[in-house]
Amino acid sequence: MLTMTHLVALTPLILVCITAVAVMLGIAWQRHHAGTAIASAAGLNIALLSVLVIWQMGPVETPLLVIDGLALFAAILILISTLVCVTLAHAYLEKYPGPREEFYLLLLCAAAGGIVLAASRHLATLFFGLELLSMPLYGMLAYAFRERHSLEAGIKYLVLSAAATAFLLFGMALLYAQTGRLDLAGLAVALTEDPNAWALAGAGLMLVGLGFKLSIVPFHLWTPDVYEGGPGPAATFLASASKVAVFVVLLRLVLVAPAFQGDWLHGLLAVLAVVTMLVGNLLALAQSNLKRLLGYSSIAHFGYLMVALVIGDGLAVETVGVYLVTYLVTTLGAFGVVTLLSTPYSGEDAAALHHYRGLFWRRPYLTAVLTVSMLSLAGIPFTAGFIGKFYIIALGVEAERWWLVGGIIMGSAIGLFYYLRVMVTLFLVEPGMQRRDAPHDWGVRAGGVVVLGLALLVLLLGVYPSPMIEWVKLMAVAGS
Amino acid sequence: MEIAFYLSGLVAVLATLGVITNANPVHALLYLIVSLIAVAMVFFSLGAPFAGALEIIVYAGAIMVLFVFVVMMLNLGEGVAAQERAWLKPRTWLGPAVLAAALLLVLIATLWRGDIGLVIQGETLTAKMVGITLFGPWLIVVELAAMLLLAALVTASHVGRMAPDKPATNRETGARGDA
Repeated sequence: MLTMTHLVALTPLILVCITAVAVMLGIAWQRHHAGTAIASAAGLNIALLSVLVIWQMGPVETPLLVIDGLALFAAILILISTLVCVTLAHAYLEKYPGPREEFYLLLLCAAAGGIVLAASRHLATLFFGLELLSMPLYGMLAYAFRERHSLEAGIKYLVLSAAATAFLLFGMALLYAQTGRLDLAGLAVALTEDPNAWALAGAGLMLVGLGFKLSIVPFHLWTPDVYEGGPGPAATFLASASKVAVFVVLLRLVLVAPAFQGDWLHGLLAVLAVVTMLVGNLLALAQSNLKRLLGYSSIAHFGYLMVALVIGDGLAVETVGVYLVTYLVTTLGAFGVVTLLSTPYSGEDAAALHHYRGLFWRRPYLTAVLTVSMLSLAGIPFTAGFIGKFYIIALGVEAERWWLVGGIIMGSAIGLFYYLRVMVTLFLVEPGMQRRDAPHDWGVRAGGVVVLGLALLVLLLGVYPSPMIEWVKLMAVAGS
Repeated sequence: MEIAFYLSGLVAVLATLGVITNANPVHALLYLIVSLIAVAMVFFSLGAPFAGALEIIVYAGAIMVLFVFVVMMLNLGEGVAAQERAWLKPRTWLGPAVLAAALLLVLIATLWRGDIGLVIQGETLTAKMVGITLFGPWLIVVELAAMLLLAALVTASHVGRMAPDKPATNRETGARGDA
């Protein structure tokens, strides 16, 4: 039964849902773009504040959800990236012909799904959280559905995601048939007593379903097309909040369920990690579209992150936390610049690399933000990305997994090439190039301020990471 | 009871194969109805009559009727009568009919033996127990399902919206518009 303590612990989720319902009612009553955006941002901010309050409470277990350090950590990251997406969407959708308010409604629903997913301790909430995260994303990706690419992205994600969900459900059914339990703790106990091939198959199928959402390599084929086609804010959400939530739940599964700790599955995870890093980076080399490139780069980054899953002890949780924070800040910055350059909406996003040629001479500050993001993605010192990569390599070296460490180093070396190529493009002078562009008041608009703030945060985390590391340590202690 | 379970399961699998191998949407839908009813039988044999009844009422009843209506309406305007006659060939209805007959046989056999509350193992799950679980510890799942439906509805209504300024005709297929 739900008690008062449970309800208090679930406040962030309830607040996000209430905001979504309020936005829905607002749309039904009177459409107002700026009002909807402000209401969504306000609701998300209040939810964020409530997370900070609940942080003091310590872990609470409701019948289907567990509100521990890990869940709250993920909730904070998800809420922050949703806030960034709301801000970007407000500028992006200003000139969108057609209804604009629904985007915020979908965004809020997806955020609620992410929070549930990261807090789930039961297969039912895991499934519902994942669906609530994905279902609005179909609509967000296909939001500009008169664009061929956007509609294609939405439908591609819908069909492939449904297939992945089928795998996930089948895996759950096998686990249930073996153990008769649906809660993760019960599953873990039952599987320790009687590990067998069916349970392993179930765990493997669940891994396929979650691997699709994280675009781990054999299941990554949708990523570049969907990132390229989806409208900027939707792609931003897909690359940040959605991946964080799914990765946190995968981490929970791997830490809790012994089926995931068997040798066989561990070996599989290690192979997938190495293949993901290498393939992601190699495919990114040939891209001439910044969004596709960022898509492949996110594949590679989740390959690095999987190293922490494979090792799974010692500093693993802390490493995942640090890496997720640095990845999130950097990705939000990079996608934010792409979205701002495509703002306001006028057909397809400006994502081809030639759009960025000589950007420095037109928009120096935006270029600086993108440069910092690229450096951070490449893992150059004095940026946040370096701290994350340092943690991963330290973890790999400590566990003496030399193949994984070699994969990370190879991947980073390849990655450096294409990140630098983007940066070179930014500074190229083009003959006969326009020195000035359209009126650029982007810096004073909310989206510009957010992107500049993210770039500063990337630098700050790179130079002075200790507060963040302390915070993540607190999370890891409360979570385990 | 195991026989009923396996027979219904077999019918469900065969009917689903019929759904995905059939090129004609209405024929595929006939198979789908049989498949859903077979799954309902599986639920009954497992001792979950509430889920079985819901499966029949919601899926085989409401949703399938909706499907059939939509598919039929999309085919309007052509030689409807001729097509209806063409659809009524034995090789069209024989497959679903045989599968449905197998299900009927299972049902009659179960009724014949007289013990309605027969299940494979465990106790029968009543609607009351389902309700207590759903609105007790699983309340959050019910609420999440509501949010999920909201998101799905908004997505469908947004993407399905017609352009206000453009004529609403699909030029490639002419599926909508002047007709």
